[in-house]
Amino acid sequence: MSEQSKESHVLEQLKGILEESSTVEPDWDSFGPATAIESLGLDSLTILDLLYDIEEVTGIHLEAKQVLNITTIGEIVSLLIEKGA
Amino acid sequence: MKSVRHLLEYCFFRIVLFLCDTLPYRFTCAVARGAANVWWLFDRKRRIVGRDNILRAGIESDPKQATALAKKASHNMAIVIVESLRSTDFLGDDNVDDHLTLKIAPDVQAVLEDPDQSLIITSGHYGNWEVAGHWVSRYKPVAGITRAMNNPLIERVVKKRKSRYRFRPIPKHDGNTGRFLEVLDNNEILALLFDQHAGDYGMMIDFFGIPAATFKTAAMLHLVTRTPLCFVSCRRTGPMKFEITASPLIKQPRSGNKNTDLEGILNSLNRDLESAIREDPSQYLWGHRRWRD
Repeated sequence: MSEQSKESHVLEQLKGILEESSTVEPDWDSFGPATAIESLGLDSLTILDLLYDIEEVTGIHLEAKQVLNITTIGEIVSLLIEKGA
Repeated sequence: MKSVRHLLEYCFFRIVLFLCDTLPYRFTCAVARGAANVWWLFDRKRRIVGRDNILRAGIESDPKQATALAKKASHNMAIVIVESLRSTDFLGDDNVDDHLTLKIAPDVQAVLEDPDQSLIITSGHYGNWEVAGHWVSRYKPVAGITRAMNNPLIERVVKKRKSRYRFRPIPKHDGNTGRFLEVLDNNEILALLFDQHAGDYGMMIDFFGIPAATFKTAAMLHLVTRTPLCFVSCRRTGPMKFEITASPLIKQPRSGNKNTDLEGILNSLNRDLESAIREDPSQYLWGHRRWRD
């Protein structure tokens, strides 16, 4: 799988997770690497929910502390790819 | 005007603190009970909430008995303050065994003694949770959420006293996950009280058979970081004497369904708290509106 298709695959997985768990109704058409975490209605507590779901779907355990410092979806995608997604 | 009020409150607080530190313990407790009686007389709302909660929980079925128990519970809260202010006196290295009976599950004890392991301790407003925090800080530093005093002068004194026993307060308004993770990263103990109305970030879990919005922060932190989690209670058994109980570590295998896992953990925590309360219902904070229909 090329880097680009890997990225869009992970992005789709993330979108699927977020569609289930997001507390707000963001504009999914413009969802992409530049999407701000904040715009998805996630706060520091609901991020834990997201991490649980990511691990269930991808099998990859992300360090919570690492994820709390990031601001965009693209950064989560990079982390997941780094960890073998 | 506000600073004058703060200064007056501070002076009053220092006098109370001085009396609390110097007067005989039993006398101080009698004064605290008297103050609780005055409070009880004027705070009609809490009186009703306390009585109704006891009735709903099924602890008492007679409203008169429930009211009497709620009043006794208000005395307990006054004594908690006195004991917490004096806990450094009786939880020193030399005499701790005279004051504490410990019932600690072996797996919890092992985590406490492992310098490379963090721990999430949950408890409720039962007995004297501050004494439990003090005791556990003998093993490693403890951090927990505290509500800051409205008066900054008093807040400074309270903070200083708490730091004597390796307790680091996390202000309630700043209780974000980043602060919690920092504690766990440092192999310290994160102590969280989970028995207040949780609002939107809660999960409806039975408490005495009635669904109550229960905080899921501790459970989520456990599931995501794999930090061991347990329930601890500290029941008063006599003047300045306590029984600290730590239930075995909660072992909830990940099922793949977050809500199922959370329910499993939170049900277990609520059950542990209920069992502790049933041992002496007069030591629970019944005045809090845990159930909001």
